[in-house]
Amino acid sequence: MGEAIRVMVVDDHPMWRDGVARDLAAAGYEIAACLGEGAAAVRLAAATRPDVVVLDLQLPDLSGVEVIRGLLNAHPSTRVLMLSASGEQQDVLDAVKAGAAGYLLKSASPAEFLDAVARTAAGDAVFTPGLAGLVLGEYRRLASTPATPDVPQLTTRETEVLRLVAKGLSYKQIAERLVLSHRTVQNHVQNTLGKLQLHNRVELVRFAIEQGLDGE
Amino acid sequence: MSAGDTAAFEATLWRSLGVFRVLALTYATVRIVAGAETFANQAAGWGVLAVMIAWTGAMLWAYGSSRVRGWPLYTVDLLVAVVLVLLSRPIVGAEALGAGQSILPVTWHAAPVLAWAVAGGRTVGVIAGAVMGVCDFGTQAIDVPGGGSPTGAVLLLLGGMTVGHVARLAVSAEERLQRATELEAATRERERLARDIHDSVLQVLALVQRRGAEIGGEAAELGRLAGEQEAALRALVAFGRPAPDRTGGPVDLRAELARFGAPHVTLAEPAEPVLLPAAAAECLAAAIGAALDNVREHGGPDARAWLLVEDEPDAVTVTVRDDGPGIEPGRLDAAAAEGRLGVAQSIKGRLADLGGTVEIYSKPGEGTEVELRVPRTN
Repeated sequence: MGEAIRVMVVDDHPMWRDGVARDLAAAGYEIAACLGEGAAAVRLAAATRPDVVVLDLQLPDLSGVEVIRGLLNAHPSTRVLMLSASGEQQDVLDAVKAGAAGYLLKSASPAEFLDAVARTAAGDAVFTPGLAGLVLGEYRRLASTPATPDVPQLTTRETEVLRLVAKGLSYKQIAERLVLSHRTVQNHVQNTLGKLQLHNRVELVRFAIEQGLDGE
Repeated sequence: MSAGDTAAFEATLWRSLGVFRVLALTYATVRIVAGAETFANQAAGWGVLAVMIAWTGAMLWAYGSSRVRGWPLYTVDLLVAVVLVLLSRPIVGAEALGAGQSILPVTWHAAPVLAWAVAGGRTVGVIAGAVMGVCDFGTQAIDVPGGGSPTGAVLLLLGGMTVGHVARLAVSAEERLQRATELEAATRERERLARDIHDSVLQVLALVQRRGAEIGGEAAELGRLAGEQEAALRALVAFGRPAPDRTGGPVDLRAELARFGAPHVTLAEPAEPVLLPAAAAECLAAAIGAALDNVREHGGPDARAWLLVEDEPDAVTVTVRDDGPGIEPGRLDAAAAEGRLGVAQSIKGRLADLGGTVEIYSKPGEGTEVELRVPRTN
């Protein structure tokens, strides 16, 4: 299998952080760093080069979006798995648009958590039904916003898959129902995120140019 | 903050009064120029006009400054106008006044009455209007054969009353708006604080659950209890939108779903409000409730359910899915034929009232999905 996957754990709760790090180490991951502040995580990301960052969305110093932007800026190939305690809300959607690779509730069992980290490291999008509902809603909101060019759209198949995720079906159940391979289902889910993140980056650049921030 | 905003609003009223003064001065100038040769004392007439011009300028400045504005100023303003009205009798002369010539300020002397009304409200406006009205009527009508008409005086009185009333009304409306805005800001802040608190409590409960399971024994039992509470509180937070306002406008369907929050119900919905007419939202929520009851009835109290809310341009779709045993194909139709499909019928009935549709998808082993679709009408 070669080198161990490097994971950075960012959570302001020390006991939680240590528990998560212990579970990860026991499962064969290498802990690149374990800390409680967003700013410090961003500073350390370039030096420690984690493959996966397990990130608590509610940090005391920076917003989730700020931390994710900072992390991806410092180490673009890192994949961020977000965790939050209070469930899917606007801030989870914002974090996904900013580039997070997946989302998990903190109440998930250790087995679910380790599975999510493994899938994140493998390049999969980890979705909860709630996140799928938010993403579906975001595509519909974008489609109904007039006068925005290049609005990303879901294919019929992607919508179908995302709706099934939102209704709580596992990838395996979805693959069976739609007669697709597990891999194809994963790709569809992954694409829905990718298009949203690309659109978000394009919008940021457009905004920056409009505001004359393109490095005069 | 509140006082400052009200003052800002009053300043607009004072500016309008300034406009009135200038217009009234222009009219008075025209009338004095046109009628000057009939005056008993023409030179004094020009003098009064000069005083009115100077006084208008002074008052424009004085009323514009919040420091000079006040009862001394309003009183002096009123007295100057009274004096100019009273001076009209010797200057214009009894003969010209009797022949229908107007008093020198013509309408200009209404300005201090309006100022009193703006500053003090209706009663004060009526008092100032009465004082000025008596002077106006006394000066103008005393020489007219038959006593003349008190129209000018009545207008002053009514003007003082109306402007006073409206000014109070506007200021109190402004204050009420200010209070409502403050209340809204406070509510938002409370919601934000509640979220922070919820988040840390949920975090700790999840931690206890996790550590408890790791330690085992009695701690595992504690962890299990914490896990139950965590799920219950999270459901409460996720479904816990502020109560929909019942003012007749469209309501957020997500708020209507608050009552279905439960640990075994997973919610997927858009981040933005899903707006529906209040009656439709209520009816749809009732149908969802019936579908969830059905899940509990057939799958037991621990049956899990997923709620997906979708906001499309032409319709709102809510899907209720469970992971129960599912229904054999044909059984649904058979049950319907026997008239036993109570719940499904009540769901269909509610949706039919909204012009909506219900679709039921089920396979043995795959649970049941009930899709409720309400078209948007506009």
